[in-house]
Formats: sequence, C-alpha cells, structure tokens
Amino acid sequence: MIHKIRARLAAALLLCVTGAAHADTFVFTAIPDQDESRLMTRFGQVADYLAAELGVEVRYIPVKSYAAAVTAFRNNEVQLAWFGGFTGVQAQRLVPGSRAIAQGVEDPQFISHLIVHTSTGIEPSDDFPLALRGKRFTFGSRSSTSGRLMPEHFMREATGETPQRFFSRVGFSGDHSATIALVQSGAWDAGVVNYKVWEQARAAGRIDDSKVRKVWSTPPYPDYHWVIRGDVDARFGNDFTDRVQAALLAITDEALLAAFPRQGFIPASNEDYQLIVDTARSLDLLD
Amino acid sequence: MRFMPEAAWNTTAGRFRRASLWLGLVGVLAFLLADLEITTLSPGTELARIGTGFLTPDFAATEFVWQALANTLAFAFQGVALGVVAGFVLALGWRFRGVRAFSAVIRAVHELFWGLIFLQITGLSPLTGVLAIAIPYAGIFAKVFGEFLEEADARPATALPSGSTWLATFFYARLPLILLPVRTYSAYRLECGLRASAILGFIGLPTLGFHLETAFRQGDYSAGAAILYLFFLLIGTLRWWLHRHLLPLYLGAALWWAPPLSSAPAGTLWRFLSEDIVPAPLRQDGGFEAFMQWCLRLASEQALPGLWHTLVLSSAALLLTALLSLLLFPLVSPRFGSPLSRGLGHILLVILRTTPEFLLAFILLLLFGPSMLPGIIALALHTSAIVAWLGGRFTLQWPARCDGATGLRGYCYEVLPRIYPNLLALLLYRWEIIMRETAILGILGITTLGYFVDAAFAEFRFDRALFLILVSVLLNLGVDAFSRRLRQHLRLSLNEGRTLARLPGADTTPPRGAAP
Amino acid sequence: MDVLFSFRGDHLYQGARPVLTDLTLTVRPGEKVALLGRSGAGKSTLLGALRCQHATQVAWCPQDGALVPMLSAFHNIYMGALPRHGVGYSLLNLVWPQARERQAIHALARQLGIEDCLRVSIDRLSGGQAQRVALGRALYTRRPVLLGDEPVSSVDEHQAQRLLALALSQHDSAVVALHDRSLALSCFDRVLGLRDGALVLDAPTSGLTLADLDALYA
Repeated sequence: MIHKIRARLAAALLLCVTGAAHADTFVFTAIPDQDESRLMTRFGQVADYLAAELGVEVRYIPVKSYAAAVTAFRNNEVQLAWFGGFTGVQAQRLVPGSRAIAQGVEDPQFISHLIVHTSTGIEPSDDFPLALRGKRFTFGSRSSTSGRLMPEHFMREATGETPQRFFSRVGFSGDHSATIALVQSGAWDAGVVNYKVWEQARAAGRIDDSKVRKVWSTPPYPDYHWVIRGDVDARFGNDFTDRVQAALLAITDEALLAAFPRQGFIPASNEDYQLIVDTARSLDLLD
Repeated sequence: MRFMPEAAWNTTAGRFRRASLWLGLVGVLAFLLADLEITTLSPGTELARIGTGFLTPDFAATEFVWQALANTLAFAFQGVALGVVAGFVLALGWRFRGVRAFSAVIRAVHELFWGLIFLQITGLSPLTGVLAIAIPYAGIFAKVFGEFLEEADARPATALPSGSTWLATFFYARLPLILLPVRTYSAYRLECGLRASAILGFIGLPTLGFHLETAFRQGDYSAGAAILYLFFLLIGTLRWWLHRHLLPLYLGAALWWAPPLSSAPAGTLWRFLSEDIVPAPLRQDGGFEAFMQWCLRLASEQALPGLWHTLVLSSAALLLTALLSLLLFPLVSPRFGSPLSRGLGHILLVILRTTPEFLLAFILLLLFGPSMLPGIIALALHTSAIVAWLGGRFTLQWPARCDGATGLRGYCYEVLPRIYPNLLALLLYRWEIIMRETAILGILGITTLGYFVDAAFAEFRFDRALFLILVSVLLNLGVDAFSRRLRQHLRLSLNEGRTLARLPGADTTPPRGAAP
Repeated sequence: MDVLFSFRGDHLYQGARPVLTDLTLTVRPGEKVALLGRSGAGKSTLLGALRCQHATQVAWCPQDGALVPMLSAFHNIYMGALPRHGVGYSLLNLVWPQARERQAIHALARQLGIEDCLRVSIDRLSGGQAQRVALGRALYTRRPVLLGDEPVSSVDEHQAQRLLALALSQHDSAVVALHDRSLALSCFDRVLGLRDGALVLDAPTSGLTLADLDALYA
C-alpha cells in the first residue's frame, strides 16, 4: 500500500518521466465531465484495477485541460485517455493509428441543455428559442464537445447564423459548473451545459429555479470515449489493445464507474465519431 | 500669470503635468470607446457562496496540495535562476540591436503561452515549467541588466592600465558596480516568478494554480480559498525566508525535488518546427495564393479586432491603474498613517497583487456582467497593487523634515511631486505587462489578441497561434518604443529595475567619507 | 636624444570642443614634469592625450580616482596589475586574494599609509584614503611613466610632499597635474603652465619662483 502511495506521489510530483525511464509502465489520463476534485485518489483506483487485469504497472496522471490531455497523448506521455468527443477526434488525427475502443453507456446518446436566466422570460420548448437573439450567451470550455462544439452546431442549424452574429456577446466560461453559476447570477443571459452536469447540480441543490431554467435540449450526439495509441501492442504485447478494451468493458464496480461517472462501458470505434469530425470541420475548428 | 506677467512658467512639474494630461486623455478616450455595459441581475447567491467559501477554507479538500506548493517553489526558483543567468549573458551584448530586439520578442510572450508551446516540445514535465518562466524572464533581465551596465560609472574601467583583458576589466571594474542592483532586482523578480509559477498550473503543470483554477471553476470555493490563503502566506512571508545566503540551498532543493527533465520523446522539437507551426495552407500544399488568403483572413478576423480590443482595454486599465496607485501608495508609505495602518495596507496589497487576475475577473463578472469593465478593474487592481507597493517605498528616498507638511497637504506638496516621475515610469513600464495579461480574460468574452491565441492553442493550430503571437509581439515592441520615447522626452532614465535599485535598503553603503 | 612625448602644433579636443590649440611640446625620458593651470585650463585633456601616445608605458592616476566603490582597497590597488597577470589568476585573486599579491600590496600600502584599510571597501574610506588607493593602483602598475591628475589634492601638505616623492622615485619619467605650486617647485624639475587654451609656461623649476607661477592664475 505504502509502495503504491509512493508510486502515485512520484507520478503527481514529477508528472511523468515516461518513455525511456519507465518503458514498462502503462499510463492513462482522464478528465471527468464533472467534479475534477481529488482526481489522483479517484482514478488511482482505476489504475489499480487495470494493473490487476492487465498484469503491467499502470499509472494515472491528472491533466488539467483537454488540450493538455491531447498533447500528453500525442507525446506518448500517456497511452490511453478518456476524451470528450472533439478532443478524442483531435487525438485520433494527431496520432495516426490510435483507436477509439470504448465509450460510456450514455455516450452514444449524449445531449446538452440550453439554460437561460428567468429574466429573459423564455419558456421551455422543443425548438431553439429564437427570442434569444441579441442576448448574452456563454459556452463552456472552448474544446468541449457538450459545452461548445455540438450545441454550436445545432444552434447554427436552428438560427442560420454564427453565435457571434446571433448573440450580442459570446463568452467561454471554461467549465459547465461556471456556466451554471454565471447564468444563474444573470451575468450571462443564456448558456449551454452538459446534461449530466446539470442533473448533478440539480441533485446537489445548486439550482435556484426562480433564476435559471432549462429551455431547450440538443438532439443526441456521440461524446466521451477511450482512445488508445496504435503502438501499444508493439510495446506491451500483441493483444494488448484488445485486453485493455476487455478490461474497460468489464468494469462493473460502482466505485470505479463513479469516477467518470458512467453506468458502464460499451465498445466504440473511430467511425462512431464521424459526425464530430464533420461538425468540427464545418465550424472551422479542424483544418 | 497675473502675478508674473514678465515670465512664463518653466518647471519640471509642468512637463510631467502635460504628459500626464495627454496620457489621461488617451485613457479617457479608451474608456469612452470601451464596452462598459453593466448587466447584473442576481449575483447574490453565487457571491454568498464565494463569501462562505472564503470564511470556511478547507485545507483538506485538495489532494497533494503540499506537493503543488513545492512544485510552485521549485519551478520558480529554477526558472528565475536560469532567467538571471541567460538574461545576464544577453545583457553583455546589450549594445547590439539584434540582442535588444531578441530580448524584446521573448519577453513579449506571456508565460502561459510559452508554457503551451513547451508542452508540445518537452511534455508535461518540470522542464516545461522552468523554461516557461526562464525564457520571458531572460528577456526582462536582459533589458534591466543591460541598462544597469549602460548606466554604470564607466570611469573605473577606463582608469585601468592599458593592456588589461576584457574579462578581467569586466569582473573588476564593471560587475561590482551593478552587482547590488542586480541582486535587488532579481529578488523582486522571484516574487513575480512565484506568481507566474502558480499561474502555470492553469495549463496543467502541477503547481498551486492547477488546483486553484479547478476549485474556483467548479465552484468549490472552500477548497479554492484554502489554496489562495496558502499562496498569500507564501508571498506575504517572502522577506522572512528569502535570504541571499539560503538561495543555493533553495536552488539545490528545487533541482532535487523537480529535476528539469523533459518527458516527451525525442523529435518533438523538430515536429513542432517542421509541422506544427507551418501554416496550414503550406502544410497541405495549398500554394502561396492559399497562404496569402490564410494570412489575410487571420489578420482581418482575429489579429486586427484583437489588436484594437487589446489597445482599448489596456489603455483604459492603465488609466485606472494610475488613479488607484495614487490612492493606494500612501497606505504603505511611512510618511502616512501609523504602523498598524501600514501593516494592514501591506496585507491588502499582498492580497491584491497575489490574487490571480482571472479570479478577480470572475468575481467582477458576477457583479457587473460580461463587458470590458470587469477586465479593466481586475487588471487595474492587480497592477496598481504592485505599483503602489513600489511607490510606497519610493517615499523613503528623501529625509523627512520635522516641520514638513502632513496629511493631504504633505501628500500634494511634499510627496507626490517627488515620487511622481518614478510612478509614471513604472506605469509606462507596466503598460506592456497589462497588455500581455489581457490574454487571460477569455471568460469575459472580450476578443483581445490573447483570446484568439488561447483559442488557437485549444484547437491545436500552432500556426495560427504563432501568427497571432507575432502580432502581439509587434504591438509590444510598438508600445515599448512609444514609452521609451516618452521617457526620454520626460528625461526619465528609469525602468523598473533601475527604480528599484535606487531605493533605500537596496544600497546600504554610507556616502563616501561618512565613516572612517 | 630620445623623445617620450611630443606635440607639433597639435589641437586637442574634449569631445568636439577644442581645449588646447596649436600645442607644441616635447617631454624626454627621465623628466619629472609638473603641470599647472586653473581648473578648466586643459590639464586633464593634455594628460589624456599623453596617455594615448604611450598607453602601454603609462601608470595612470586619474583625477577622480575612478575606483570601484564596492571593492576593497586591496582589490582596487591590484587592478593596476591586471595587464601583468592572466585572467584566471586575476579572477582567482578576486574571490581569494593570493598571498603573493597580499604581501606586495601590503608593503606598498604601508608606504602610502593605508595598510590598515586594505580590507575596507572604497565607499567606506575618507577622500584622502581613497586618493592614496588610486595612487597605489598607479604605482602597482609598475610602468616607467607616471601620469597623474591631482593625485594628492585631498591629503595634507606634509603628506602630499612625501607621497609625491615616493611616487616620483618609482618612475623614470612623470607628468603630474597639480594645483599646489610649492609642491611643483619642490618635487619636479620642469613646469608646464596652461592658460586660455595655450601652453604659456615651459621652464625648468630651478629658475622659477612662486610669483612666476601666480601669473598663471591671475
């Protein structure tokens, strides 16, 4: 136990001196779509589980932003990563041969909510509320699929213009929780959030219904998934990718799943994310 | 004029008044052009949560917070040390235009952007943190040290017998003359380096900023407040634990704790240079035509609006900074108040200059809604706390008269005229820095240059990031040239470093002949 | 006969400003020359021009001392020896004063009357002490020609006489600017007088009186 704690400590301190120094350690990272506190503790359990299943040393390193996660994946500092839809696609493009191997049970049918401050007087409806024209609007993080990419895509479809034209002002709060807090305070009139974060905030009693309400939801789209580098088989053994996939799909322990948080994992492939690629291209987020 | 019909006023103060008036008018114009819409509706709930968080800091909420603290210190010590050495080497060539331009370019890029660049090349490693601090600091040190050398008394070197080698002359008759100001300035920069190191956590390096940003972004204010308090403590107690003789120990500990190694595989530098920063049309063989179009589009959609908003925002922030500095510096000046009020003033200034701007901006965003206003106030509060802190120390430069005026009369007649040149020089110097800092205000939806650079990094378009960074470098060079010219016009032979070096306490030696 | 310094109708400038015009002058090896004249008459300019003619032969003692204030008297005196030693030795001596230099400089300092303040930095010395350090630096250069610009102006008359005699005894030739006319007559064998941008007096001291010299200042 002490040995494990020390190993994790070393990981946290020096980040990772991977590659040459620890050629035999399999490293992964993950940014959950809500609650980024105590990542080392929570994902340390996942690392222990994977180590037991795969028979190699497994380490988790915490990464701050989607961009940092993709960079670490690209630099082979991590070999496996739990990415959002858009960042997963970025990673697949930057690391030829990398593969999507699993996604959350919820992820093929992910949605985002449009939330507004009640002072706008906008009521819930099935169509995007065009009355928001000229209001102040915030996305979440720039490269978030549920906080930016897909909502922007569907909003462009509904309004026929870019958000920068449709709204008087467009910001990036940086995070779903911040979006909720800022719309609730009235600083922004409206914003989009990941539905899971919204539901969790409701459950936690952080939502004041007299100030902020959900008025519209996007159509479903694919989101979070596990991406693994193509060169792991050469490094860790012939069927390593398949074994990692099997290990992920076999997770049933609630405590482990709560870290993500997902009900379970199902198989995925690169092709599942073509919609994301097309959307990112049309929004000029990919060259 | 009625009293002196025969002669026009010819005073130094008049020159300063006129320059200030023009600068003030630019600031007022910027305020008129800036978007200052106030649209707040119900910030109460969130502000109450923030307030509760600050009253109930939770030191146990963050895992590995002590390690983050150690990393913050380690990166700062190594980064500043490397910056001092590199800056010193550059300063030796300060008379070459190329060296000056190179220094200006590397210091015009924000630490965070250096961090994002090195993330690609040296990975999520201590080396990235060290270089992200060391490189811009080398540019700053080069300028300050270079000007120290320029201003140092040249006579001892010329008095040496002919035939003395260049190196021996330097070590005997040049270096000793500037050693003290170099030391004072480096120590001051270490505080800035600690802040920069903490902020590097925002992009994922394991410093205090990592947990600080997460906690505040996710609304976990108790955890955030605890980290912030820790950081205040670190900066506030600096003068008690930062001793020259302990520096080698600290530096050794920093190297032991976080050896500056890269964690990225070989070849990342080449990949960055040969692929990442090559403009997309050229990478995809689009030809020169497509490249020109790419440039034009980037210039018209991002660079030009970014330039404009950066200029307006920073000019307005500069005016507000000036006004706040004039108000704040008496708080820490020994010419005013009591020891108690000065103690409180010091605490206030430490809090203001240590709190990351993004946090101030977030709270002000809740208060005022999204516009330039929260950005202007956040930048001005932060910067004026630094200027006022230095300004308070300037007031020690002349001996107090026991029959001197006190209070407001003392402020207007005795103190302000004397320290005004220093304050003005500092403000001009800080303009550059305010401009760099506008980068972190993306949360406000203000499209400054930094906003677009940030977006380019998030989209993994280093070609665009580089283009926009070059534009901001040009802007910085322009502002630097302008403020240099203005300083020459006002005969302010001052920059931040030289100003600091003249402070009492910086030079403890008594005047010649005073002691046997 | 050999010539050490010579000017033939030369003009000397301070920056772009002409200071001495149409100067004709010869100094031979072995001569000890005093240079007199009101302040601003061009003494320092002339000394600078002399230094340029034989830079490698000259032990130089400038008017303001031009010492490094934060270094010790020992190190300031040692600077006279910089051309004699390699860079490595000089740098070593900077952080770790070498026994050989300590002995030599201590002996010199005793002659100058500053042996007690060798380890004190210049900014903590009196003006007279600092001036003797500057003279010590020139002596420690150990070169045949002394060029001094008011090297003893801050010490009392008695001391000045002694120091000047010491300095002159250690050099073959010397040109020294002074303001004390009696010192010029007692220690030197030739006097040069400058006035209004011209050399107006050039005579052996044997035939001069104080009254002759007063004309330079009238």
